[in-house]
Amino acid sequence: MVARVAGVFDEKLTEAIANSKILVVGAGGIGCEILKNLVLTGFPQIEIIDLDTIDVSNLNRQFLFHKEHVGKSKAQVAKDSALSFNPNVNIIAHHDSVISNDYGVSYFKQFNIVMNALDNRVARNHVNRMCLAANVPLIETGTAGYAGQVELIKKGLTQCYECQPKAPQKTFPGCTIRNTPSEPIHCIVWAKHLFNQLFGEEDPDQDVSPDTADPEAAGEAGASALSSEGTTSGNVERKSTRQWAADTNYDAEKLFTKLFGDDIRYLLSMENLWKKRRPPTPLTWDNLPGKDDTPAQHSGLPDQRVWSVHECAQVFAASCKALQADLAGRPEGDHLVWDKDEKSAMDFVTACANIRAYIFNIPTKSRFEIKSMAGNIIPAIATANAIVAGLAVLRAQSILRGHLAAATSVYLRPKVNHRGQLFVPEKTLTPPNPKCYVCAPKPEVGLACNLKSLTLKELTTAFKDGLNMQAPDATVEGKGLVVLSSEPGETDHNNDKTLEQIGLNDGCALLVDDFLQNYEVRVRLQQEDEEKTWRLVTDADAPMPAPKEEKPANGSNGADEPKPGPSRTRADSDSDMEIIEEDEDETTVKPPKRRRTEMSDEVVELC
Amino acid sequence: MASPSPKSPEQNEKSKQYDRQLRLWGDHGQAALENGHICLINANALGTEIIKSIVLPGVGSVTIIDENIVSDEDIGSNFFLECSSKGLNRGSEALRLLLELNPAVQGHAVQEPPDQILKENPEFFKSFSVVIASSLSERTIQDLSQHLWDINIPFILCRSVGFLSLFRIQLKEHAVIETHPENEQVDLRLDVPFQTLADYLNGFDIDAVELKDHGHIPWIIILYKAVQKWQITNPNSWPMSRKEKNEIRSIVQEFIRKDENGVPINEENFEEALRAVNTALLPTFLPVKIQELIYSSSATNLNKDSSPFWIMCSALRGFIEAEGKGKLPVRGVLPDMTASTEHYIKLQNIYRAQAVIDAEIIYRKVQQIVAQLHCESISEADVKLFCRHTHDLYLIKGTCIATEYQLGGSVASYIARYLEEPDVMMVHYILLRAAEMFRSEHNRAPGDWEPEADIAKLKTCVTKLLSDISCSPFPKDDHIHEMCRYGGAEIHSVSAFLGGCVAQEAIKIVTKQYKPVNNMFIYDGASTNTATFTF
Repeated sequence: MVARVAGVFDEKLTEAIANSKILVVGAGGIGCEILKNLVLTGFPQIEIIDLDTIDVSNLNRQFLFHKEHVGKSKAQVAKDSALSFNPNVNIIAHHDSVISNDYGVSYFKQFNIVMNALDNRVARNHVNRMCLAANVPLIETGTAGYAGQVELIKKGLTQCYECQPKAPQKTFPGCTIRNTPSEPIHCIVWAKHLFNQLFGEEDPDQDVSPDTADPEAAGEAGASALSSEGTTSGNVERKSTRQWAADTNYDAEKLFTKLFGDDIRYLLSMENLWKKRRPPTPLTWDNLPGKDDTPAQHSGLPDQRVWSVHECAQVFAASCKALQADLAGRPEGDHLVWDKDEKSAMDFVTACANIRAYIFNIPTKSRFEIKSMAGNIIPAIATANAIVAGLAVLRAQSILRGHLAAATSVYLRPKVNHRGQLFVPEKTLTPPNPKCYVCAPKPEVGLACNLKSLTLKELTTAFKDGLNMQAPDATVEGKGLVVLSSEPGETDHNNDKTLEQIGLNDGCALLVDDFLQNYEVRVRLQQEDEEKTWRLVTDADAPMPAPKEEKPANGSNGADEPKPGPSRTRADSDSDMEIIEEDEDETTVKPPKRRRTEMSDEVVELC
Repeated sequence: MASPSPKSPEQNEKSKQYDRQLRLWGDHGQAALENGHICLINANALGTEIIKSIVLPGVGSVTIIDENIVSDEDIGSNFFLECSSKGLNRGSEALRLLLELNPAVQGHAVQEPPDQILKENPEFFKSFSVVIASSLSERTIQDLSQHLWDINIPFILCRSVGFLSLFRIQLKEHAVIETHPENEQVDLRLDVPFQTLADYLNGFDIDAVELKDHGHIPWIIILYKAVQKWQITNPNSWPMSRKEKNEIRSIVQEFIRKDENGVPINEENFEEALRAVNTALLPTFLPVKIQELIYSSSATNLNKDSSPFWIMCSALRGFIEAEGKGKLPVRGVLPDMTASTEHYIKLQNIYRAQAVIDAEIIYRKVQQIVAQLHCESISEADVKLFCRHTHDLYLIKGTCIATEYQLGGSVASYIARYLEEPDVMMVHYILLRAAEMFRSEHNRAPGDWEPEADIAKLKTCVTKLLSDISCSPFPKDDHIHEMCRYGGAEIHSVSAFLGGCVAQEAIKIVTKQYKPVNNMFIYDGASTNTATFTF
C-alpha cells in the first residue's frame, strides 16, 4: 500500500514506524485527520479512544463521518472508515472516556507515542499526567478557528501541559446569578442551571431560586423578607424544584409564574439589593411584551434574530413540553444532559435567559449569540484541523527517529505576522518549569483559603477543579492523618467541617494523591481571611517558599518525599479527624463535580 | 391563558451542520463560499487533500481537471481513491469520493489536459473563483498563470515532493473588506461627537441620576463628562499624554458615589470607564493606508470595468471630502458594557442611526458613479458592509507567476538576497524549481528510476537556475541527494499539511475575509522550518 513511502523515508524511520504503536486520544476534527495520516503513512498499530457520538455539527470538518453516522460512536466509525482504506492496519477503537481505571499507567506504557486530539482541559490534564507517569512522549494539538498549535510533551525534557498556569474558567458568584444579574452571561448561566434543576442532574450548588443568604441583602429588609416568607434558612424552596415542576406536570404557565413572577417579587422584597441597582420587573404570563407584534421580517438565519419576550415565552412552553417528554421516556432516575446542539435544550436556555434578561433590564440576545456563550463555542474548520494534524504526524515521525529536539512547539496564525511568519515556531524545546506542581520531581503548590470557613467538601473541589485530580486522597504531612479519602463514604461525615475544625492550620502541608494519575503533590495551606473560596498559589503568583527543612520522623534518608503510613501514626486526641486504614483496592473514579458557577462544561472546544 | 403553540424558530439542517464555521465567517461568508467554484488541476494526494477541506465547509462547486489514470502509487498515497479505482480516470474517481463528504457540493470532472483547454477553450477558466494546480510542467505553469492573470482569476500553484512543499498565490488585485483584526479599535467619536451624539451626551446629567441608576450609566457617558470637566481647566485641548489621561482617571474616580461612611461604592461601569481611558480617548483620525487607497489611481480614475471595491473607495473619498468632514463614516458598533437596557439601546441607536445616515450618503454616491459609468450595480448591503469596515480595508496587488518563472532582474535579485540568509529556506524554492526543470527535460521526477545518475542531472538544473540569477552553486549537494531520494513521491502527512494550508488560503480568498498569505509559503519537513516570501 504505502510501498513508495518506504523509499522516501530513511531505513531507521521506516523500521521505527513498522514497530510502533500509537494512541490517538479523541476522534474529532483533529483526531480523524491524524488517524488518516497515520494509516496512509503506514503506521501498523493504532488505538483510538473517544467518548463522544457523532453530531450533525461535526460534519463540516470530521470527514470520516457522514450524515448516516449521526448518533454513532466516533471512535468506532473513524476506525471503520479508515480501515476501508487500508484493511491491513490494526486499529482498536474504544468508545470510552480516557479518564477511567481501564486506562491506567500500564495501558499508556505500551505506546511509543500518544497523540492528543482533545477538546477540553480536563481530559488534556489527565492524559498529560498519564503520559508523565508512563514516561511516553505526548503530542498535544489544538485549533481555534484559523489558528492552531502542536506541542511535544516529554517528561523531564519539555514543559508539561500544566507547567504554565492556564487562565481559570470564568466563574460568577452564586448571588450574582441568583439575585442580581447584570450581564447577559449571568442570565445564561442561570438558565443552564434551571435546565439542570428541572431536567438534568440536580446540583444543590446550581440553585436558581432567590438566595437569601446573600451578604448584601443582610439587614432589616432582608430579614423582613425572610420572615414574611416564613422560611427558616437560606433557600426559598423547601421542595426540590424538580419535584415541584413534576407536580405541576411542567405546566408552562405555572412554571413561568413562579420563576419570572413570584421569585422576582420575592427578590424585590430584599430591598437592600435594590438601593443602588435598578430593581427587576416581574412578568405576567398573559401580558408579555411583543404579544401583539406581527412576526418581524428578518434576513439571514432565524436564530440570528432576537426574539420578543412573548416569543420567548412560547419557546419556553414548547421546549418545556419537549424536554418533559424526553425525560419521561427515560428510565426512572435518569436525567437529561444539557447540550448546546440539542434543539429543545438550546431553545429552553435561550428563552429563559432572555426572559430573565428582560426582567433585569439587561439587553437580550439572539439564539445564535446565546449558543456561543452558553456552549463556549470556539469556531472550528476543516482546514486548520488538517494543518495541525499533518504537523502532528510529522512531529511523531521526528520523535520515532529520535529527533526529539526537532519537535519544537509550533503555532499556526490566522494571518502572516509582521515577521513574515504564518507558523510561529519555538526555537528550542521549552524546558520543564522546575516549580510546576505536576511534573516537578517533588511537586508542590500553595492553597490560599480561609481555614475558618473552607469546608472539607470544598477542599475536595479545590483538588478536583484546581489540581485537576479525579479522585484525591489527602493526608497530613508527617502525621499520616487521612483528611480526604477517595473511597466513597469514608470521609463524607467530615464534609461540612471546616479545615480549622479538623485541626489544620496556616502552614500545614497536605500530601494529596491521585491513584489513577499516579500523581502526588504537596499542598501548603495558607490562611487568607479575605479569600472567599480558594486559590492556588503557584510560581507565577509568588515565589515558592523553600521546602520545609524539618523532616518527619518516619522519613527515611530524606532522599524521597516521605510516604506517611496512614495507619501507623494516630491523630492527636484533640483533633476532630478520624483515621482511616488505607485500602489497597483501587478507588472508583467519580466524575468531577463543580461547586463554583461556571460558564460551561468545556473550557475550550478545540477541535 | 394564551395557548403556547410549539412554533420555535427552527434552525435548519444546514446552519446546524455549518454552525462552527459560521462563527468564523458569518452567513455572508458562507454565502460567498456557496457561490464559489473551485477548479483543481491534478487530483494527486495534495490536490484531494485541498479539495477535501473545501468540500467539507460547503463550497458551491468543484471542477477537477485530470487526464491521468489511477495507478497503484496513487492509491497508496491518496485517501480519496479506492483499490477499485485502478485504471480509471483519476479526477472522476477522486471527485466521486470527495463529493460523498458533502452532498450539497456540485462536482465536475474534465479529462482533457490543461494545455489543450488553454489552447482550445481559454474561456473555460473564467467561471472559477480560484484555480488550484499542482504537478504541472514549467511550460503549462507559465501559460496558465499568464492566462489567469489576464482574466483576473486567482491562482494557487502548489507542490509537495518528499519533505518539501510550497504554495504560491497569484492575485492580480484582491481587496479584503473584513480583515478581522485581533484588536479592533472602537469608533466612539468622543472628541468630535456628531450632532445627535453631542445632544445626548450634553443633555445627560450624571449628578442628577438616582443612586440605583448610577451604576447603570454607560462608561462612554462617564468618560465624555470627565473630559468635559477636564476641559474647563484645559480649554481647546484633548487628553493625549499619559499624565493627561491620569487626570481623566482621577476625575472619573471623583464621580464614583460614596456611601454614608464616605467609602466609594463599587460600581462596575466606573471601573469600565477607568479601563477604557487608554483606548476610547484616541482621537478620531483617517488612517494613512486608507488615505492612500482612496487617492490611488484605481479610485480616482474609474472606468466601467472598475471593481465595486474601487467604486466604493471613490464614493468614500467623496464622503470624506464633503459630509464626513475628513472623517470616515461612523461604524455604528457599540462595545458591550454595563448599562441599563434603556441607556444602552438609546446610545446604540444614536451610533447606529448616524452609521445608517453616513452609509446612505455613500450608497447614493455609489449609485451616482454606477449610473455615470453604466456599470453593474452594487447592493446597499455591500455598501453598508464596506462602510462598517472602512478603517481597516486591505488590498493585495500581486505579481504574475509567469514573470517570476522568467527570473527577470528584480525577481533574481530578490531570490539571491534570500539565498544569503542564514536559515536559507529559499534553497528549497531553487530545488523545487530544479526538479520541475528536470521533469521537463527528462519527462520524469528526479530519482524516480536511477537515483545515482539523476543526482548529477539535477545538479545541472540547480546550477543553471543559480547562474540565471547570478548566484554561485551550492557548496554542498545534500539537498540534491535528498530530492533524488524522494523520487517525486508525496509523503502523505506533508501533502495533508500543505493541503490544509492551501485550502485555508483559498477559503480566505473566496470569502474575501481575513488576509491571505502574500504570496509564497515554503515548508521543509526535514528541518520543520517554514517561511513566507513576497515575489
